[in-house]
Amino acid sequence: MATQLWALAAAGAVVLVAAGLELWRSRHARARAVGLTAPTTAGDIEPYILYFTGENCSVCRTHQEPALAKLAGVRIDKVDAIAERELSDRFHVYTLPTTVVMSGEGKSLNVNYGYAPATKLERQLADARGANLRVSATA
Amino acid sequence: MATSPRGVVDHSALKVNQTGIVATVLVAFIGSAFFKPALVLIPLLAVVLLLGTFAPQLALFKQLYFKVLKPRGIVRPRVVQDRPEPHNFAQGLGGVFLVVSSAVLLPLPVVGLALALLVAVLAFINLAFGYCVGCQIYFQLGRAGFIKATPGTTGTV
Repeated sequence: MATQLWALAAAGAVVLVAAGLELWRSRHARARAVGLTAPTTAGDIEPYILYFTGENCSVCRTHQEPALAKLAGVRIDKVDAIAERELSDRFHVYTLPTTVVMSGEGKSLNVNYGYAPATKLERQLADARGANLRVSATA
Repeated sequence: MATSPRGVVDHSALKVNQTGIVATVLVAFIGSAFFKPALVLIPLLAVVLLLGTFAPQLALFKQLYFKVLKPRGIVRPRVVQDRPEPHNFAQGLGGVFLVVSSAVLLPLPVVGLALALLVAVLAFINLAFGYCVGCQIYFQLGRAGFIKATPGTTGTV
């Protein structure tokens, strides 16, 4: 029985360390990715979403795309993370799906590594629209 | 078969496979506390996973789904447009971990059991939350150029 308990403790420790490292890495990557710019269409003022995906991403198809489909009227730029290596490196995309909420001016405001539900994206888009309004009011 | 040439995967087959992995490791883990030979389930599971990776018709849990659970309506199919390669890679990775686990079970039982438990934890995370760690490793290997990436699409959804 002692062997089983030690094995459980060892596996638990590995899981905790891995989860801690993953949390640290995603926070660190998010902090570096926010504020970056990406190409945008001239004249756009509405926030949009950069959606990093890949041919082999299951969660993208089963979860992320149905969530994105719920965001009516929002521009979603789909990016193949492997083909568009430079762009995915710039946004520190190491997990798929990754969604980036961009301001109308093409500046990243929120980065979500992993599946982001529609409610979360809606909230981030609403914040982005609020930020746009504040900028226009100041200008 | 869990897949067809058109790139669809029955996710129910994957779920049954993950359930099988978790259940087998748990039986081996708990059973070995009372009956040491229960540990033989770990190398057996390694063989099942590796066989299933290279010959899907030999994937025990998936065949259980396709031959028994699905025809009898016990588990409903959930066919999703997807690619099988990352899932096969993840299964193979689990198999390799279990081979290492089996190799060290006798000299270092704590390490062997811990490795087997990790495989079960990863299978459970995939089963419960849909997060496939093996698939993310597959993506990273594709980005690094170790695995030939299939061309994808870039555009507007």
